[in-house]
Amino acid sequence: MSETNRNRLMLVIAILMAAVYLFPLYWMYITALKSGSEMFATPPSFWPSQPQWDTYPFVWESRNMGRYLWNSLVIASGAVVLITVLGVGCAYVLARYRNVWVDIGLFLILMLQVLPASLMITPIFVGYSQLGMLNYPRLAVIIAIAAKSMPFFVVLVRATFMAVPQELEEAALVDGNSRVGAFFNIVLPLARNGILVSAILIFMQAFGEFVYSKSIIQAVELQPASVGLNSFMGPNTNEWNRIMAYATIYVTPILAIFVLLQRRIVSGLTSGAIK
Amino acid sequence: MKRLLSSIRDGRGFDIVLVTFPLGFLLLMAGLPLLYNVLMSFQEVDMFSLGTFWRPFVGFKNYADLFAQPETWPILGNTALFVVGSIAGQFMIGFGLALFFWVNFPGASWLRGLFLVSWVMPGLVVGAIWNWILSGDFGVLNFILRESGIISGNIFWRSDPNYSLYAVIMANIWLGTAFNMILLSVGLASIPGDLYEAAELDGANAWQRFWTITLPMMRSTIGAIIALGLIFTLQQFDLFASITSGGPNNSSNVTQYWAWDLSFRQYDFAKGATISVIMIVFVMIAAIVYVRSTRHEVRG
Repeated sequence: MSETNRNRLMLVIAILMAAVYLFPLYWMYITALKSGSEMFATPPSFWPSQPQWDTYPFVWESRNMGRYLWNSLVIASGAVVLITVLGVGCAYVLARYRNVWVDIGLFLILMLQVLPASLMITPIFVGYSQLGMLNYPRLAVIIAIAAKSMPFFVVLVRATFMAVPQELEEAALVDGNSRVGAFFNIVLPLARNGILVSAILIFMQAFGEFVYSKSIIQAVELQPASVGLNSFMGPNTNEWNRIMAYATIYVTPILAIFVLLQRRIVSGLTSGAIK
Repeated sequence: MKRLLSSIRDGRGFDIVLVTFPLGFLLLMAGLPLLYNVLMSFQEVDMFSLGTFWRPFVGFKNYADLFAQPETWPILGNTALFVVGSIAGQFMIGFGLALFFWVNFPGASWLRGLFLVSWVMPGLVVGAIWNWILSGDFGVLNFILRESGIISGNIFWRSDPNYSLYAVIMANIWLGTAFNMILLSVGLASIPGDLYEAAELDGANAWQRFWTITLPMMRSTIGAIIALGLIFTLQQFDLFASITSGGPNNSSNVTQYWAWDLSFRQYDFAKGATISVIMIVFVMIAAIVYVRSTRHEVRG
């Protein structure tokens, strides 16, 4: 078998495997377009006979999705800003030095990274309620997400800083830059892409966050889209086409960002998580 | 004062300022709750004492009560099954895919990256999709299994106590496989190619090369991925909330969902804290394994 034929065969198998793997996603998009009766047909149809496009505006209106998505956006943006402002400097220092203190700091950060949110929510909720932070529920969720996700961000961005040659910073210092100047003018611009990709990863995570929002935010008008989806799915629901339409609206922007930046996200993810 | 300012602008002070605020924030917002959790597990916490720090201490009563409950051991067993099943599935499928994509062909890395969409999707959305796929009468999974002759009658994945945990495991395997595959691919790519050339010259077949080169060279990667898998599996909450809610009758309940359920559904914060403490110990052990297996990277 020639090289090109083998490549073609491999590509076909790979596409088939990707198709099988991504079938749940396809099923979401297809179900959202089915009518109520077609959805429960046996055998199920794998292509909608009459696509019901007006399910989307109906779900958007009736479930108040604009408000939910806005809250998700506020929470995710707030968490990303807080994490970036605090985390970049921390990652820089942890990348610049090699000593026992850095090891201890990294160890602490990795330990805090692994705490499951659903186990930490009990003390966080009780503590926040004692401090009166439950009166500002979205801010409380932003802080909780930041404390949860910052270690991951620091680990990723640290890998980016490690790739910036230290000689460049030293040259800037010799040329009369202060440490602050060298950091902002030389190091930060060089690490910009890595920081951006890590921030996008954090944003996608925070955009789908559920445990903290569900437990901390009681007022419906402040809840994010994940909590909205959860309350849409009652125990005996049969509105699956509408739920899938909700899920489609919620997840498509994230998928679009991911497909556009796929290569960078994958390489950024792998550089930090494991070597 | 002036020296302090100039140190912050142009000396060690700069590093110290950069690192103090984030670490302080983390210790305050993640470390302190951790200690508070341990404290609460030794206290009597009810709706009336929720607002005060000085609650009556009860020693190990919460722990004793917890293990006296009939559902505790089954739920711990479910957790073990969930962890082992999820990690085994994710790892084996992920390793298979990583080995397949390791053979370099045009488009391999792009297609491989595409698998990761399962990982970037919100857990609630993944749960909603699988909830619908696994539906008993109209679920597409039952249809496919029936048509291919694997089952004769419908399986009620979400409401049959014999299957409910496996329903969540299935969804979780789907969710985590891509992440495993990507990390394993990185490990595979770092094995020097001349090792294989040498082995081929010595007449080793593909099977022998896999067992004598690939697996031993991947040992630290595999250790790190298993440990990461354990950490991620114990963090999985969204799928339980969106597929089975731990039911029916706790048959698909696991500790990380139970802890939340105790605190926020039954308002038994002390028990919720107690089970959290127990599970956090397990997670910490996994984290230490993970840190040890990536230590050469951590030290740079």
